[in-house]
Amino acid sequence: MTSLDKTFFPGEQRDDFTVIGSVTQRADALGHVTGRTAFFEDLTPPGLLHLKMARSQRHHARIAGVDLSDALAVDGVVRILTHADIPNNLYTPLKLIGVEPDDEPILAEDTVRYLGDPICAVVAETEAAAYEAVARIRVTYQDLPAVFDVEEALAEGAPLVNEYQGHNYFTYEGHHCRRLRFGDVDEAFARADHVFEWRYESAPIEHAPTETTGCIVVPQPDGRLRIHSDTQACFFTLDNTALILGTPFNKLRIVGGTVGGGFGGKVDIVVEPVACVAAMLTNRPVKFVYTRYEEMQVSSPRAAERIYIKDAVMNDGRILGRKIILYVDAGAYARHSPYGTTKAAAHMPGPYAIPNVWADCHCVFTNRTPSSAMRGFGVTIADFALESQMDRIARALEMDPLRLRLLNAYRDGDMKAHRKVAEGTALIEVIQKAAAMVGHELPAEFRRMSSAEGR
Amino acid sequence: MASTVVSLRLNGRPAEFLARPGTSLLSSLRDSLGLMAAKRGCAQGGCGTCTVLLDGRPVMSCLVAVETIEGASVRTLEGVAADDGRLDAVQSAFLDGFATQCGFCTAGMIMVAESLLAGNPDPSRDEVVEAISGNVCRCTGYASIIAAILDAARRKREVDVV
Amino acid sequence: MITAVRIPGSLASAAEYAAAGGWIMAGGTVVMAQVNNGSVDASELISLRAAGLSGIRVADDMVHIGATTTFREVAELEFLADAVRTIASPSIRNLATVGGNLFVPQPYGDFAVCLLALDATVHIAGSGENRAAKVGEPLARGEIVTGVSFARPAAGTWFYRKAMRRKLNSAAIVAVAAVVHTEGGVVSSARIALGGVAPRPVRAVSAERVLVGRWLDAAALDEAGAAARADIEPFDDAYASAWYRTRVLPVHLRRAVLR
Repeated sequence: MTSLDKTFFPGEQRDDFTVIGSVTQRADALGHVTGRTAFFEDLTPPGLLHLKMARSQRHHARIAGVDLSDALAVDGVVRILTHADIPNNLYTPLKLIGVEPDDEPILAEDTVRYLGDPICAVVAETEAAAYEAVARIRVTYQDLPAVFDVEEALAEGAPLVNEYQGHNYFTYEGHHCRRLRFGDVDEAFARADHVFEWRYESAPIEHAPTETTGCIVVPQPDGRLRIHSDTQACFFTLDNTALILGTPFNKLRIVGGTVGGGFGGKVDIVVEPVACVAAMLTNRPVKFVYTRYEEMQVSSPRAAERIYIKDAVMNDGRILGRKIILYVDAGAYARHSPYGTTKAAAHMPGPYAIPNVWADCHCVFTNRTPSSAMRGFGVTIADFALESQMDRIARALEMDPLRLRLLNAYRDGDMKAHRKVAEGTALIEVIQKAAAMVGHELPAEFRRMSSAEGR
Repeated sequence: MASTVVSLRLNGRPAEFLARPGTSLLSSLRDSLGLMAAKRGCAQGGCGTCTVLLDGRPVMSCLVAVETIEGASVRTLEGVAADDGRLDAVQSAFLDGFATQCGFCTAGMIMVAESLLAGNPDPSRDEVVEAISGNVCRCTGYASIIAAILDAARRKREVDVV
Repeated sequence: MITAVRIPGSLASAAEYAAAGGWIMAGGTVVMAQVNNGSVDASELISLRAAGLSGIRVADDMVHIGATTTFREVAELEFLADAVRTIASPSIRNLATVGGNLFVPQPYGDFAVCLLALDATVHIAGSGENRAAKVGEPLARGEIVTGVSFARPAAGTWFYRKAMRRKLNSAAIVAVAAVVHTEGGVVSSARIALGGVAPRPVRAVSAERVLVGRWLDAAALDEAGAAARADIEPFDDAYASAWYRTRVLPVHLRRAVLR
C-alpha cells in the first residue's frame, strides 16, 4: 500500500482505500497475453458479407448521377445500398440530448460535403469483390465552391457548407456562438498597464487506434440484430442506430466493451447503422470495418481550433480582463463538435480568477472531415492556448511564470465567469508542490498561499 | 478463380485449408483456421499487430501470400502457452509487468519477443527496442512492454540454469 | 480482383507469366499491401519465391545479390549492415527483398539509393536476351530483375546516413549513400546518391564535382551539400516538407561522411 501525501488539505483526504495504492491485476490481461480476448472482428459467423463504402472524391459537390451497373455486375456483389435504403437517413448523434438539427446523411443524397463523404455501400461475398465493385461505381459530380478555413467560412459570401444548419455556424439557443459575459472587459483594457493579444492554432489530430472502427451485425432468429462493435459508447450507438433504422430500441443488442484503442474517438455512429440496414436487407451477417486509410482520412479527428486571447494585465502580473475568440472547425457535419465548443467555453478563462471575461466560441462548418470527440476535446487545445498565453505574459513582464500563475490562480470561494462559485480548487498547491519537486524557488509569500483562503 | 489447398505446420500440428487467390496468411489464420490472436490493424505491414513466426522468424502475416508458403512452419500466440494452459516466460512477464492495455498489439509484441529471446537470451534494451520497432502500441505502453521482454529474458535464463 | 497466384519454379516460366500481364511479387511487402486494399490493377500475382533468385555471392570483391534475397540476409554483408538496419523493421526485413526495393517509391527504397551510389548493375531477364541495366532504368513488360552486382567498396570509402523522424523504422527525410576515394586526404573520386529528396533516387553530381580535388573536410562537404540542392526535386509528405528536406540536406551529407 502506497501512503498518500497528506501535506495539503489535512482532514479532507481518506487513506482507507483497499485498491488505490495496491497492485491489482487487470481483469482483461490474461485474455490479452493468451490471445483469447474477443475483439469484435474475432467473429466469423457463417455467411458473413463484407461492406465497403464508395466515398466522395470531391470536397463539395452536387451528385449529378450514380451509375451502379458495372459494380452490380461484379461476381459476388449481393447488394449496393444508397440513401433510399436507409429508413431515417438524416441524423445527428447528439439528438439524444436534444441537439438539433439532423444535419448528416448516412449515405449522401444529392450533395457531398467533404472528401470521403459516404455515397453507396457495396455488400459482397468477399472483401475483394466489394473493393472491385466500389472501384466500378461511377459518380458524376458538379463541383461546388468549398471552404476550408473557419474565419473564411464565417465571412460574407462564403459557400454554405451544410444547408440543414442554414449557416456555417452551429446555432446555440438562437445565438451564432457560445458566449460568456462576465464584468466589463473593455473597461479592464482601458485601465490595464499592458494589453497582450496573441493567436493560437491547432491542426486536426487523429486518434489512430490500432484496431480500426468497425462492427459485425448478425441477424438473430427472433428478428433482433446483434451488433458486435468496437464503439466506446454502446448505448449511445444503440439508441442512435435504432432512431436511424426506425425500430424500437429493444430490436437491437450491442455486444461491445472490448476496444482496441479508442482514445475518445470511437463514439461516432459511423458504421453500425448502414451495416444494420445491410444485414436487414440481406438477412445475413455483415461486417463493416474501416481500412487504415479510412481510419486516417474519414474517421473524425479532434477538431482544429483557432483561438485569439487578449488580456488586460497590470505591472504586478494581475490579470484584470480576458477576451477570447475561439473557433472550432467542426468540418462538414456537427457530430459532437457543438458539445466540444460548449466545453471550450465552459473552460474559459482557465483556472484563474479574472474579474472581467468575454468569450465568443464558434462551432464552424467547413468542407473538411467532420471532427468530433477525443479525450478532453474542447479543453486540451484551449489549455495549450491559455497556458502558452500565461508563459508569454510572464516573459513580457520578465516575471517567473509560476508566480504569475499563483498570483492569478483561482481559490475556493471565487466567483467564476460562469457564475459558479469555485470549490475544491487545488491549482496553488499543485504548483507549489511541482515547484518544490523540481527545485524551483518560490518566495515565502507564494509558498504560504492556499486555495482554501480567500484573497 | 479456384481456391488452393494449403498445408502448413501450425503451432506444431499439421493444418490444411483452402485459400482463395491472393489470401494473406493473416486472413487464413483468422477466417479459415479460427486463430484470432493475430490482428488486422492496417493490412499494410505498418502496425505489427498481425506478427506471427514463419519458420521461426517474425513476419507481418498480412503481407504473406499464403499460397506461396506451402509446407512452412507457422507459430501464433495460440501456440505459445503449454498445452495445459501454463503461460510461458514472455506471457507471464507481460501479465505481471502490466504490459497490456487495450491488448490489440499484445499478440504481435509477444511473438516478436519469442523470436528475439530464442536467438538472443540476454538482449540489451536497444536490441529489444529494435526487435519491436515494427510493432505499434498506440496506447504507448512501450516502457512496460520493453521491461516485460527484458524480464522474460531473465526468467528464461533462470529456468535454463535450473 | 486476384484470380490466380503463380509460383513458377523457373525464371523462364516466371517471365512467361509476367509477359501475360501478372504482377511480380517477391517478399510481398509492397504488393500484398495493395492486394489487401483492393488496388492491384492485375488479376494474377507471380511469386518469385520458387524461382531460384535468392542468395549472395562474393567473388574477387564483386558482390552479387539475388533479387529475392531478403534484407535480413543482406545485413550479413558487413559494410551494408548499418544501412540495412535503417530500412523498415526486422519483421519487414524478414520478407522484403533487394529486387523489390528497386521499385519502391521514394521516400522509401533506401537500398536502391545504396545501389545507385555503388554504381550497381541490375541484371534483367525476360522473353528476349538477358540484359544489364543501371539503377532506375525502367523495365519492359515481361522483364524480371534477377539480381544486382557491384564492386565491394574499399575499406573506409563507403558512407551512409539516413535522417528519420524516429531512430528506427521510418522513411527517409534525407538518405545519403556515397563511395568517396581520397589520396593523401584529397578526394580523387566521389559517387553520391540521395534518397528522400526526389521521386526516385538521384545522383548528387553537383556535390561530386565540388568534392573532387578538395580536402575532405567540413568546409568542402558543406559546399558540396549546398551544391547538391541543384540535383534534387524534393516533395512534401507526412515525414517532412520539401523546404525542410532542402534545408537539412547539406547537414546530413556532411554527417554521412564525417560521422
